[in-house]
Amino acid sequence: MELDSNETQPTVVVSSTPGRISLRPMTLSDVDDYMVWATDAKVARFCSWEPCTSREEGIKYITDSVLTHPWLRAICLEDDRPIGYILIMPVDNIRKEIGYVLARKYWGKGFATEAVRLVTAEIFKEMPEIERLEALVDVENVGSQRVLEKVGFTREGVMRKFIIMKGSVRDMVMFSFLPSDPLK
Amino acid sequence: MPSKETNVQENSKESSSEMEIDACTLKAMSSSPSEKIHLRPMTLFDIDDFMVWATDINVTRFCTWEPYTSREAGIAFINNFVLPHPWLRAICLDDDRAIGSISVTPVDNIRGEIGYVIGSKYWGKGIATEAVRLVGEEIFKEKPEMERLEALVDVDNVGSQKVLEKVGFVREGVMRKFMCLKGNVRDMVMFSLLPSDSLL
Repeated sequence: MELDSNETQPTVVVSSTPGRISLRPMTLSDVDDYMVWATDAKVARFCSWEPCTSREEGIKYITDSVLTHPWLRAICLEDDRPIGYILIMPVDNIRKEIGYVLARKYWGKGFATEAVRLVTAEIFKEMPEIERLEALVDVENVGSQRVLEKVGFTREGVMRKFIIMKGSVRDMVMFSFLPSDPLK
Repeated sequence: MPSKETNVQENSKESSSEMEIDACTLKAMSSSPSEKIHLRPMTLFDIDDFMVWATDINVTRFCTWEPYTSREAGIAFINNFVLPHPWLRAICLDDDRAIGSISVTPVDNIRGEIGYVIGSKYWGKGIATEAVRLVGEEIFKEKPEMERLEALVDVDNVGSQKVLEKVGFVREGVMRKFMCLKGNVRDMVMFSLLPSDSLL
């Protein structure tokens, strides 16, 4: 399936295995599903944000940060309800960074792997200027490292004391995927 | 001393000659360049020495900038970039003339990036290594908020990679298609030094 290059009306992307996941823009009506993962401290553990504490806060975050994001998609099951989201952030003219979050109930089932694979398969066509898609993962976030490895990202190395996360300076593993790399 | 020599002479000839040199001298010999260098702030008075390395295409090969072609451009560079820079030093020989420069540029609150350039006439003498070592020894005291000093080196710039390895930087990995250099997207090797690391 090809992604529509018209940013205002991105197409729904469906995974190759029917009954698995699809990606679509998030809306305010997703707030209750959003709250499921956004309030979960275990989900927030390796994220830059603290768990959400109220529905109002959730609505504000979706309005200010999610709906305005240059490239963010809800990860949805068959019923079109989001179980997380995946996003692409510009680093500079040639580099983009991928990030994703999934509600804990859906961990360990390959959903994040499928979402990352879907995005990686399409993103270079949608954004031909990208030379490098990268991901930075906390050294302790082994689950997320495995997602990227399963998709075919290259583990380039551990960047020591690379970012401050919630007041601590963390070692981060750098991964990359180039347009020329084979998807696994 | 005589008693030590007597003991040692029982062993091989090689080890006895090593024993005659004390540990301090041995370290100084192995780590210092053939010419002694010091670091100091750069000024407009350095313009002519600056032009020596800044016009050299061999020097600029792995730099983001092209060789300078006019003294005016060099003066503008010193005024606009060098003088306001948060941490930049001329690398000088005994006569206090600049033969290159070294700088630490903030990446963010906790990270700094080291960069250095030396006139090609002075390559291969351990000068860059000594300059980087001097910075590695001092920078974390000067900037206690710095958690990480990093360096990005073109995969083909083996000489510069060796400088960092000799000082004790950790080679973390090759970042593929990381940076645009003169219109080409380059693979870069990432190195880092932490305050807790031991310098070699």
